[in-house]
Amino acid sequence: MFNDIDSIKNLFREEIEKADNLKYLQELKIKYLGKKGVITGKIKSLGTIPPNERREYGQQVNDAKKYIEEIIDVHEKALRTSELNKTLQTQRIDVTVPGHYTPAGHLHPTTQVLNEIIRVFTSLGFHVEQGPEVELDFYNFEALNMPKDHPARDMQDTFYISDDVVLRTHTSSVQVRVMENNSPPLRVIAPGKVYRCDADVTHIPMFHQLEGFMVDKHITMGDLKGVLQVFIHMVFGPATKLRLRPSFFPFTEPSAEIDISCVICKGSGCSVCKNTGWLEILGAGMINPRVFEMAGYDPEFYTGFAFGMGIERVAMLKYGIDDIRLFYENDKKFLEQF
Amino acid sequence: MKASFNWLKEFVDFSLAPHDLAHAMTMAGFEVEGISKIDNDAIFDVNITPNRPDCLSIIGLSREISAILEIPLKRITVELQKQEGRGPDVEVQDNKLCRRYSSRTIRGVKSASSPDWLKKRLESHGIRTSCSIVDITNYVLMEMGQPLHAFDLDKLSGQKISVKTAGTEKYFRTLDGENRSLSKDVLLIWDAEKPVALAGIMGGLDSEVSSSSTNILLESACFDAVSIRRASKSLNAASESSYRFERGTDIDNVVLALDRAAQMIAELAGGTISGLTDVYSGPFMPKQIFISFDKITSLIGIKIDELHSSRILNNLGFNIRREGEGIVATPPAFRQDIQRDVDIIEEIARLYGYGHIPATLPCIKMCPTPANRKEHIIDIINNSMSKSGFSEVINYSFISPDSLDSLNISLSDERRLLIKIKNPLKKEEAAMRTTLLPSLLNNVNLNFNKGEKSIRFYEISRVFIGSGEKLPREKLQMAAIYHKDESLSLWPDKHDGFYDLKGVLEAILAELRIYNCHFNTVADQIQPYLHPGKSCSLSLNGETIGSLGTLHPLILEAFDIKGDISMLEIFDVDGLSDKTDFKLSYKSIPKFPFIVRDIAVIVSRDIPFQQVRDEILSASSNIIESVNLFDIYTGKPIPDDKKSLAFSIRYRSHDRTLTDEEVDSLHSSIVEKMKTSLNADLRS
Repeated sequence: MFNDIDSIKNLFREEIEKADNLKYLQELKIKYLGKKGVITGKIKSLGTIPPNERREYGQQVNDAKKYIEEIIDVHEKALRTSELNKTLQTQRIDVTVPGHYTPAGHLHPTTQVLNEIIRVFTSLGFHVEQGPEVELDFYNFEALNMPKDHPARDMQDTFYISDDVVLRTHTSSVQVRVMENNSPPLRVIAPGKVYRCDADVTHIPMFHQLEGFMVDKHITMGDLKGVLQVFIHMVFGPATKLRLRPSFFPFTEPSAEIDISCVICKGSGCSVCKNTGWLEILGAGMINPRVFEMAGYDPEFYTGFAFGMGIERVAMLKYGIDDIRLFYENDKKFLEQF
Repeated sequence: MKASFNWLKEFVDFSLAPHDLAHAMTMAGFEVEGISKIDNDAIFDVNITPNRPDCLSIIGLSREISAILEIPLKRITVELQKQEGRGPDVEVQDNKLCRRYSSRTIRGVKSASSPDWLKKRLESHGIRTSCSIVDITNYVLMEMGQPLHAFDLDKLSGQKISVKTAGTEKYFRTLDGENRSLSKDVLLIWDAEKPVALAGIMGGLDSEVSSSSTNILLESACFDAVSIRRASKSLNAASESSYRFERGTDIDNVVLALDRAAQMIAELAGGTISGLTDVYSGPFMPKQIFISFDKITSLIGIKIDELHSSRILNNLGFNIRREGEGIVATPPAFRQDIQRDVDIIEEIARLYGYGHIPATLPCIKMCPTPANRKEHIIDIINNSMSKSGFSEVINYSFISPDSLDSLNISLSDERRLLIKIKNPLKKEEAAMRTTLLPSLLNNVNLNFNKGEKSIRFYEISRVFIGSGEKLPREKLQMAAIYHKDESLSLWPDKHDGFYDLKGVLEAILAELRIYNCHFNTVADQIQPYLHPGKSCSLSLNGETIGSLGTLHPLILEAFDIKGDISMLEIFDVDGLSDKTDFKLSYKSIPKFPFIVRDIAVIVSRDIPFQQVRDEILSASSNIIESVNLFDIYTGKPIPDDKKSLAFSIRYRSHDRTLTDEEVDSLHSSIVEKMKTSLNADLRS
């Protein structure tokens, strides 16, 4: 008795088979489900159906409606996807063309190494202090137990501004400045530029140093060794060996040169370590009581250690740079490697 | 200092190979920097630190080796058999300047050439050979560390030697042929009439010993270190002798060395040795120093056995005795570096071996250190510059004074207050930088010459401004330099490079949370090295903090640079720390929608965008959220002296939804305002 519904569905099935574009599908949708569509017509005509059949007939019409809606939906999604795919294919770009960006700049290798070393020491509780680069002879020499006419001054070729003003030859000049204004305990590092009146293949007139010192009661030479060992292990790796060798600095007593096992050949001997297996990396020692006296500390009460290193030297070893003059030529081809 | 392995072995009977001896010396503070093989010998190049002049000789190093290896030292002894007559009388004017002066004459010598072994030994130690008399004085100098001088006695007037200062300024010809101008306090050796030697530095040409000399006066003395150093520095005259005197020589060694040399001369050149003349102000009394065992332990960080400590000091020639909980030590006369207890502790630690000191970490009280705001600002700038593609350069802090002229900097500018270096390496590096710009321009030049096309560099370094005080004012300055890559690009952009660099600056300012920077174009505020139409000064609350612009073509010409260069300067980076505010406070996210209206106006070309923007903002107020300039247009159909500016204005209220009507009415009032105050036309 509901043959008419079946034949609508049959016809729809035939027609939907031919739906290969969205426009046709839209027409089908209107034909069956639109305001004047076949199914809509059937729903409107429900009133003419005898009451005893109406319920079941109505059910049939609704099922047919749902059936058609679902199928159209499925086809619509499929057609949309395939049409979108077609469009996307036409929008193809050449992904192998280089992208557009501003390459990040590079921090100077000296700054990078300096920052790394500063991080190591600040993690140990040291804090950073600065001093002037144009410095009084007093802080650069005299307060460090190097009076005028002292032969130790020959160890450093000095640029003079006047008889009592120099370009600091080392960052050790910060020691007494800090001590004058603070009382122990002190844990200080002082990084910065230093100057030597010297220029050849292995020397440049300006370079960077980092001075470090610690002052308190009961600081020993063993502590100096321990702190420097931490530093060396953090910067050059935990397998790096450390060796202290007696030396002389007027402002430390005892004094030591610190060598590390060659980072290039691991101690077996190469041209960098001149076949000794060792590389000189720092000067250090226990702060000379004279320096404490200059700063107004009681040397019977306090002890302390101090050390100083050349940053370029560390950078050269870390990165394998073989010519110190490259640092301040500022060739892009050099700077952009770091 | 050079030292022969075989020679050292004559004094200490060790069985080490050269390499092992070198290692032992290095680890005791006498770094052997190189070993060269000559014949059957090894010549060590030993770095003698300035505190150890006593080791500037074979015997000095042997003493150390003897202490290091604990093998006895063979001492030099001299016994002069026959002594006849006396040499000239000696008068010493000031026994502070000359603490000891001893001499002997040797008469009737036949100075020929030295035997080969002696020549070889001197040559292997880098000393030029001469006649045998001079060679022998040099030999004893190398062997014993005591400088000696030989005069030709027949060239001296009178029978008198005096040691006194020049007294008046005078000229003196030294044996190297130089006629030297002496100041009045230079110490000299005089005969009865005239100066004959610069004391402790160099002899005179007129009294020089030669192979024809037959009568010799041999001098061995101890001069004051500071006086010799001053004279040597001021005369620029240095010798093996002055090198030792200015570091300090052994007063107890004076006569022994004299006798050793006299004996060798008599042996090798014949002649008769006279009796000794020895002017000695009094025996040297070394000081006694107390060292407590506790202090050794507390300074070194390990307890060193008391007997071991004593033995080390004994081996080093100290006289020691036990006293209470320590030792009283008397250093030998040649150890003038030993002044206080720490010096002796170093001696103990050094020979005990630094390698035996344990590595410990100190126990310290925690003390917080305040965050360093200045470092933080530098970090921010570094990060921001890196993101913008700029690489950091570091240049020498020097400047050529001429480059200030090249930059057209006026004579009254503070950058003219140069700190000049008295002894520069070159004249281009004769002063300290007062501006970073010349260095950066040199960096551009170098990289252009190497074929680079794009330059993005910056530097943060100190400049040094003369202050009238002893020390200059040191300011941390930042400067950046930019050259747009003009080669063909896949992603071309046509705008002026100025705007790229301005963007870089704006990125820094945004990260520093500085929002009120004013770009000032008043002519007298523009740096003299900038393009007058493409530059500005940066001001913050009326204070000039920097400058930005394209470099003036004439400046580029002066620095030999082809191509547009823009630059940015921040004059005082540390000074930014009180202009920034890193406190963050949250503002609620807008709840009500915005409305956008676009507008394009035609105004005179002279009117800066900033003025138009200010005009818009002043209209009202609290419902304009942002003004976004999205187009600047000149050219047809816009009249030549005008430009069109197109903005997008976004309106929003924080407490209600705006209606189209109220926005429209505000928007048209803005348009009206611009028409009257800026003489603007609406572009349709």
